[in-house]
Amino acid sequence: MTRSPAVQPDRAREEYAALVRNAAGGDAAAMERLLIRAQEVAYRFSLLVCGHVEDAEDVMQDALLGTYRHVREITDPSAFRTWLYSTVRNACLMKRRRRAGEPASFVPVEQGGEREGRTPGVDVPSPAPRPDERMVDAWIDRRLRRALASLPPAYRMIVVLREIEGLPTKEVAAVIGISEANVKTRLHRAHGMLRKQLQDV
Amino acid sequence: MSDRCAAILANISAFLDGDLDQTMCAEIEAHCAECQRCAPVVEGLRQTIGLCRNAGTAPLPEHVRARARDAVTRLLRDVK
Repeated sequence: MTRSPAVQPDRAREEYAALVRNAAGGDAAAMERLLIRAQEVAYRFSLLVCGHVEDAEDVMQDALLGTYRHVREITDPSAFRTWLYSTVRNACLMKRRRRAGEPASFVPVEQGGEREGRTPGVDVPSPAPRPDERMVDAWIDRRLRRALASLPPAYRMIVVLREIEGLPTKEVAAVIGISEANVKTRLHRAHGMLRKQLQDV
Repeated sequence: MSDRCAAILANISAFLDGDLDQTMCAEIEAHCAECQRCAPVVEGLRQTIGLCRNAGTAPLPEHVRARARDAVTRLLRDVK
């Protein structure tokens, strides 16, 4: 039995830092690459955590403009990645708040939220994939997509940041604003839920 | 479930995340080599994490990548 290879997060973080330094120094190719990567991060995060394609496209645009402005102001390039994920997360939270009260499709109704007077509950995706889900199925294992959708939003976000995006737990904690110990506890619980979901398929 | 199994399973996330020291890793691996209950649980989680890692590195659909490239082109053209 082999262990999964440990994520090598620092190399990716250093790649971002190098791109930021070069882009800030006037390297046009580095700027383009950085702006594309920022949008891809935004799309992936938004679609996996919140599940609406049109929101994901809006969040891409926010990430593009925000990154372009931020690169010219940033003093610590190695802090860029944390900034990017925090920015994307905040943009997604704002989108989700605006959608509260609309019928949920892909995303379980957030605890405490209400939908047209009905009590909050977990929405189970219907068997036939909806358009947003087909978008995700194009690049992610369908079973995984369904398992992620079944997680409470707070757990889903941690799984996306840690296991899909590959951020170390310390950085996940910084992005979300909770302790590293809290991240590890939630991650452990989320692992258990995911495993059960994938087993039951 | 035995206490030993419970203790092992409490640590599997840390184990698979590379967060445990060598001694503890060796203990978990040794236990899983003999335990019919824990080995599939650890393997199942390892596969789940593998699916997640693949999702993180898989290229996005071409229309999304094209959208990103076009947006960059427009932005850099407009700011000149």
